[in-house]
Amino acid sequence: MKRSLLIALSAILLSGAAQAETFRWAGKTDPQTMDPHAVNSAPVLGFLNNVYEGLVRRGKDMAIEPALATSWEAIGEGKGWRFTLRKGVKFHDGSDFDAKDVLFSYERASAEESDTRSWFAPVSEVKIVDDFTIDIMTKAPNPIFPDSIANWMIMDSDWAKANNALRPDKKNSNFATLNTNGTGAFMVTDRQPGLSTSLKPFKGWWDKAEHNISDAKFTPIDNPATAVAALLSGEVDMINPVPIQDAARVDSQNGTKVIRGIEARVIMLGFGHDHEKIKFTSDANKANPFQDIRVRQAVAKAINVDAIRQTIMRGSAEAASQLVSPAMRGYSKANMAPTAYDPEGAKKLLADAGYGDGFSFGLKCPNNRYLNDEAVCQAVTAMLAQVGIKAELDAMPVQTYWPELRADNFDMYMLGWSPGTFDHEHPVRFLVSTPNKEKKLGSWNFGGFSNARVDDLLPMVQSEIDDSKRQGMIDEIVSIYQSEQAYVPLYVQPLVWGTRDNIALTQRPDNFFILRWVNVK
Amino acid sequence: MISYIIKRAMQSVVVLLAVGLVAFGMFRFVGDPIDNMLGQERTDADVERLRELLGLNDPFIVQYWDFLTGAIQGDMGVSFRQGRPALDIILERLPATLELATVSAVFAMVMGILLGIYTAINRKGFVTTTILTTSLIGVSLPTFLIGILLIYIFAVELGWLPSFGRGDVVDFGWWTTGLTSWAGIKSLILPAITLGLYQMTLIMRLVRSEMSEILRQDYIRFARARGLTEKTINFRHAVKNTLIPVITVAGLQIGSIIAFSIITETVFQWPGVGLLFIDSVQFVDIPVMASYLMLISVMFVGINFIVDMLYLAIDPRLRDGKEG
Repeated sequence: MKRSLLIALSAILLSGAAQAETFRWAGKTDPQTMDPHAVNSAPVLGFLNNVYEGLVRRGKDMAIEPALATSWEAIGEGKGWRFTLRKGVKFHDGSDFDAKDVLFSYERASAEESDTRSWFAPVSEVKIVDDFTIDIMTKAPNPIFPDSIANWMIMDSDWAKANNALRPDKKNSNFATLNTNGTGAFMVTDRQPGLSTSLKPFKGWWDKAEHNISDAKFTPIDNPATAVAALLSGEVDMINPVPIQDAARVDSQNGTKVIRGIEARVIMLGFGHDHEKIKFTSDANKANPFQDIRVRQAVAKAINVDAIRQTIMRGSAEAASQLVSPAMRGYSKANMAPTAYDPEGAKKLLADAGYGDGFSFGLKCPNNRYLNDEAVCQAVTAMLAQVGIKAELDAMPVQTYWPELRADNFDMYMLGWSPGTFDHEHPVRFLVSTPNKEKKLGSWNFGGFSNARVDDLLPMVQSEIDDSKRQGMIDEIVSIYQSEQAYVPLYVQPLVWGTRDNIALTQRPDNFFILRWVNVK
Repeated sequence: MISYIIKRAMQSVVVLLAVGLVAFGMFRFVGDPIDNMLGQERTDADVERLRELLGLNDPFIVQYWDFLTGAIQGDMGVSFRQGRPALDIILERLPATLELATVSAVFAMVMGILLGIYTAINRKGFVTTTILTTSLIGVSLPTFLIGILLIYIFAVELGWLPSFGRGDVVDFGWWTTGLTSWAGIKSLILPAITLGLYQMTLIMRLVRSEMSEILRQDYIRFARARGLTEKTINFRHAVKNTLIPVITVAGLQIGSIIAFSIITETVFQWPGVGLLFIDSVQFVDIPVMASYLMLISVMFVGINFIVDMLYLAIDPRLRDGKEG
């Protein structure tokens, strides 16, 4: 009785808060900067997508749609793109947007100091045609260029000049690290790094507002249990992520619900293809069994991905057959069947390869990077043990994990990949190409997988304008990396957000939280 | 006497230098800050340029030396995460931690002494047993769990108190306080209890045993024989003598309250230096970590130095220049 009274009371208080349409949300990571060109990471770009805009933007279905450009077309026999810019767009400080700002933002975002410069590697020249037309020329035909710049945000050139923020500053901050001046639907009204960031709708926004928020406030909450408590007690309206083990509780509680989706991130296992010897355990310095394709296939067959999905991911992940999820451009429908769980077949392959008695090796894993990463690795270890190969698991925080992988200290490792361009070419370039520093290829291909045909096909994919020909080449690449078992794709990571019942929002597979799609009822 | 002071001061400096050296030696093992500062599409050239810019390619002794020479001039380096001077960030966050630490210290002292006296005077009975048992749970459970437990009871189930943050804060430029508003005070209750519970139990048990001891002394018996009231005996004669060791212990505990606040601040997302430190560890923000560790060690070394000086004032043998 007493409790229901309290609930009623708090409900009254809460509805009072809802009428003001202040939207408060919490996430695990605070965006480390407000500079849209300084850091190419999801927390920063996701947050700033609410404040800054690019020439194009991604819609609810991830397809690109006009933003600061109203239209674009290929010119110069495919060696460039002409963008027609939107007229009458204003920055938050009231100044006008035109081609000058686009050129400036190109120079800024592609500068040596910028972490976003890799997006502009294919660009040869940017030319202003008139105030509202701009040509971006590429070194070779580049069919996915408009797709690849959806997160390239436009900054006002005069504002940057006046505030001495012509280039991002990674060591000492500058004005743009703490202040913003975009064209987006929301403007930052208060920024306290690591504590909170407040936003207000921008009255002069060019597009029609779909949201009904009057104020928004973001707070980073480190501890997942505290975030869940804050949601359950009604102190925040939305949290991302909800720990998978708490999802059922959030769902069953009156007043809150869980929104599930599939992220763009594929979790996979990688091998030390170019290691001559095993590096860890008592079998160290013996020949590396993973150089034998049958052993790699046996690993794929030995892992019961469905069991991992059902138990560790509580049913909210999707089995993966390739290095991108089905929602991505260039997903290969011709190769969509995941490897079936087949422990007997795995044992047979191992016996054929001469490892009927098994072997042992070191498996490296992060323990705070992906959802339940360490638990998944423990399950993998147990499943591999059932076919007779013994993985010695070494799980560590991500801060030490990447240096360890770069130093080549693994026999097998776990990796998650979310393609920044939402295109299959992305993981091929970073994970499957033979590592080559000069050509900037294969920079995350830690195991050194190498296939000459893939290396030949990649530049062709990059410059093929015809979509079906391009897909044919991608299909070929996929069938190569699948049959060679370059990686063992496990599953596509789930997205689990929690909200109050009175919130309507759209969850995008890139895990960006878009404020302009939020409605408070 | 002067030589004694100089000796102690020198020892303090050596301790500080050693802490810094150990800290910088460890930073090489906490990870690589580059991974947080550059996205997945970076090239090796980008990595190299940033390492050079941040001075990460220098041997750790050189990095330590640069930090020291900067620190002497009041420059503790620039945060990798925020790109602002590390010292500024720490000073911004310090009021939150000090306020929390002070309130929990007051809570621990007041409650600890009161409950200690009560349980000493009423040695048996339901209330005493309950207090003692509950307090035992308080010390046996880890701070983290107590915090979560309190959040679930008072924030989620009852909805009386906020589960995280500092509420409304008034900013005076050099100091921020949440004590001026009801929302700020409400936010302080749960973290202060969580942080002070251990110290409260400690003080309570100390007071209880000291006071029980004193109540058995001859002069208390004489007082009782003289016909003084129980109230006068307990509060005028017994309590006063109880408090001497309590104050010594309480003083020593203040340092550990500030150090322990790391866990409490993480659980309650309390925007103090402890939370800042945890964030910095996750981000491998070396300048902020180094500044925090130096600050904490300066504090501990300072307290110890003062204690040493107090001994000097008390112990005449030390004043004569002969160490006891």
